[in-house]
Amino acid sequence: MDPLVAAASVIGAGLAVGLGAIGPGVGQGTASGQAVAGIARQPEAEGKIRATLLLTLAFMESLTIYGLVIALVLLFANPFA
Amino acid sequence: MDSPDKPLEDPSWDGESSLSDGHDSADIDSDEPLLKGISPEPDPSIEEYYQLQQELVLLTLFLAVVIFVPVWMVYSLNIAFNCLIGACVGVVYLKMLAKGVEQLGRQKAKVGKNQLALFIGLILVASQLEPLHIIPIFLGFLTYKVAIIVSIFRSSSSILSEFL
Repeated sequence: MDPLVAAASVIGAGLAVGLGAIGPGVGQGTASGQAVAGIARQPEAEGKIRATLLLTLAFMESLTIYGLVIALVLLFANPFA
Repeated sequence: MDSPDKPLEDPSWDGESSLSDGHDSADIDSDEPLLKGISPEPDPSIEEYYQLQQELVLLTLFLAVVIFVPVWMVYSLNIAFNCLIGACVGVVYLKMLAKGVEQLGRQKAKVGKNQLALFIGLILVASQLEPLHIIPIFLGFLTYKVAIIVSIFRSSSSILSEFL
């Protein structure tokens, strides 16, 4: 592999994971914290709150997964190699 | 600034909780942690959560089988099996995420990242082994998202039908 392509791929992989994890990380933390606070206030609505949290976390984590896929493809199955 | 009704020095007054949720402050002890309402035993209201979890898993498996046949016809059996493998790992991922959400506030303070390790392992195996391809496995893995969207549409359509 061309050293320039290899270096750019590694930098791109790091940026994809690092930058891609910032937003979902903040969002997941906020959503989880608010959900736990909501359950503490209204324990009778625990099932509904947890169900909503599961759906939102599944969507938020997929944003991290997109960045992860790009990084792993760049590192292990690089199309520009 | 002190409140004219109850001074802040009064240890029996929990201004935040009485302002926020309107509950009687006498039955909320401010020294107790925020999670005191969460008992370690499963609440009956959480049945709805278990029901959604089971529905999502079954819907994901159903969609995986439904997708398997046209992919086999259009592309090949190998690609179709790749999609199926991805969907099965997606089901495991969804179960792990659901377990993390279930333990949130009880045994754990945050949702774990073990499910991401599962996905990383899947992509690494797909990139190293010859019969496996990354794109079909990744698209098969995303079957759980289709199941979530279908589930949301089903629940929202039932809510909409009540209004219309």
